[in-house]
Amino acid sequence: MWKVYKYTLLDLARNRFAIGYALLLLLVTVGLFMLEADNTKALISLTQVVLALIPLLALVFTIIYFYNQYEFTVLLAVQPMRRQSIIRAQFMAVSTALLLSFLFGVGLPVFAYAPGPIAWTLLLTSAALTLVFCALGMLIAVRQRDRAKAVGIGLATWVFMVLVYDSLLLWLMFSFSDRPIEPVIVPLAALDPIDLARILIMLKIDLAALLGYTGAVYQQFFGSSGGMFVSLVALLLWIQVPAWAATRVFTRKDL
Amino acid sequence: MFRGALLLVLATCTGLVGASVCDVRPGHGSIRQALASTNGCDTIIIHGGTYNEGAITIDRAVVLLGQNWPVIDGGGAGEVLVVAAPHVTIQGLVVRGTLVSDMNDNAGIKCTSVSDVRIIGNRVESCFFGIYLSSVTRALVADNRVIGDSTADENRRANGIHLWKCSHVDVLRNTAEHHRDGIYLEFVTDSHVGNNTTAYNARYGLHFMFSHRDSYTHNLFHDNGAGVAVMFTHEVTMTDNRFEHNRGASSYGLLLKEINDAHIARNTFADNTVGVLMDGCNRATVSNNRFVANGWAVKLFANSTAAVFEGNSFSGNTFDMTTNGDLVLSTLRGNYWDRYRGYDLDRDGKGDVPHRPLSVFALVTERMPYAMVLSRSLMVNLLDQSERLVPTLTPATLQDTAPLLHPPQGPESRTIQRAELERGQRTAFPLSLCASLMALLSWWRFNGHSIH
Repeated sequence: MWKVYKYTLLDLARNRFAIGYALLLLLVTVGLFMLEADNTKALISLTQVVLALIPLLALVFTIIYFYNQYEFTVLLAVQPMRRQSIIRAQFMAVSTALLLSFLFGVGLPVFAYAPGPIAWTLLLTSAALTLVFCALGMLIAVRQRDRAKAVGIGLATWVFMVLVYDSLLLWLMFSFSDRPIEPVIVPLAALDPIDLARILIMLKIDLAALLGYTGAVYQQFFGSSGGMFVSLVALLLWIQVPAWAATRVFTRKDL
Repeated sequence: MFRGALLLVLATCTGLVGASVCDVRPGHGSIRQALASTNGCDTIIIHGGTYNEGAITIDRAVVLLGQNWPVIDGGGAGEVLVVAAPHVTIQGLVVRGTLVSDMNDNAGIKCTSVSDVRIIGNRVESCFFGIYLSSVTRALVADNRVIGDSTADENRRANGIHLWKCSHVDVLRNTAEHHRDGIYLEFVTDSHVGNNTTAYNARYGLHFMFSHRDSYTHNLFHDNGAGVAVMFTHEVTMTDNRFEHNRGASSYGLLLKEINDAHIARNTFADNTVGVLMDGCNRATVSNNRFVANGWAVKLFANSTAAVFEGNSFSGNTFDMTTNGDLVLSTLRGNYWDRYRGYDLDRDGKGDVPHRPLSVFALVTERMPYAMVLSRSLMVNLLDQSERLVPTLTPATLQDTAPLLHPPQGPESRTIQRAELERGQRTAFPLSLCASLMALLSWWRFNGHSIH
């Protein structure tokens, strides 16, 4: 397994897209910090960009890479090794590459310009998001034979999580605004990994506003160590479940 | 040194008018005796030590002058010092030991129905009420430190500096902490509250009602349970104050309710849940204030009319302005908004397109506070952008017709200049980063070629 991991990673190091991804993130981050005089404000803008960009790129990259590697995967599958190890090694290699690119493109400049609790939260949650969408990408890729279809499904997943889910949530709030749905809203929002990451970062930025009215709910839920633990477990589940499902599908797949 | 000189001057003065100075030391006479003595004794010098004399009533014109911080301990019997005569000065004492009571407003220093009182440079420690003036005209309360019991429950605390039905009072350079309200005024007119610091009070830093024609300048109100709340008053002037770190569900930097003809200028509102809330305020002028990093910088309720916002600077707030109705009868002009995305073609420093500070999302959260969970999401951004292009939901009248492109001169602009100076150094980092990156890439390519 580690051999597959090593060679996949070496292959990824030569991948133009992975390097381009790192450069794009670096460009966006440094650009934002240079445009905005106030570092905290730049960090807030960066949060919004990163929360939309990272899931999209991680998802699409994982899917495309899986198809590019398909022949190599088939070659590996005839070797005397478990299929589980192959897919796991590939998942780990792709997520390592994406994480390294992310740390280089975003982590480095963020810690140069605006180190602090917001930066830490941004890095940790975005790293978790990278893993989540890498796992989701794997799952989509192993289930579909057609590459275009897989990319389509990936894009749809991204749009759903970044936009549609929030709209549904807002619609839900409007339609049930006469009823006490307040306690339901936070757990519902936390079901979407992008929303969960955003809320965790927002707790650091918008604390003054969050402390008004419903602030108590947020503070109790996310601010406490228990809430942090729950959020962490939720994110880990979002990584584990798709990764496990992808492994399961791959081991039973007729390659 | 200073105290000695003052003493000398005082002694000379009193000497000139034929008055006398008495000394009270621990074990040598008591304050009560000195007050009761009939042979003049206009100035009583109280030397360092502890005096347990219960409640002391001052019923004649006298100067009580503490030396080396004498402690006047009421012993928890009720009040400590009660001023019941005009022309009394109390200076340099440490006052403690009031009785916490639900029936009486027991205070460390209490003045009732007198005039020309001066309470200067005292330390009032862990008292129920600190300094309490009732029906007093012409008084000076200055340089006192009124520190309550920080461990006490809110209902076991009372106000630090409490003024009731007074006029022409100056409250200057005091510190009031750990009380219920730091400074409390009711029916107090023609008075001035300046250069005070109130912090960590359970309820309000400053609280006044029905107190007309008063001015509040250069005060610092921070970390109070509910910030500052002022109500039912007209002709108030509030300038150069700082309202900071007042966070909580019902916490306000400055809550204005039924305030008419207020003049609010050059204040700083930073890191509050709500910077300013205006409820039923008419003809207020809010000018040259700074709103920094608040949850809601200004909540302007629709029942406020003819307010004018001019020359204010809004930056880093989650929401700059919200309102709760469709009709807004207030004027915004020439403010600086860090969210403004307009342009200035004629270069007069004012944007050519109006700025609409009220976002749709602010309206949504006004109706459904729990919608805050969607703050800063892509969906909300799109919503706000589309509303900015085609305004349909936000009140059309709430707009700044001439928004400033740069923040008005003030302490903030100085920091920005500094930031721009530092920017020169900051560009060095990305440049070197890019250079090293290019080097890395070229090395990579070179290696690749050499292998094949």
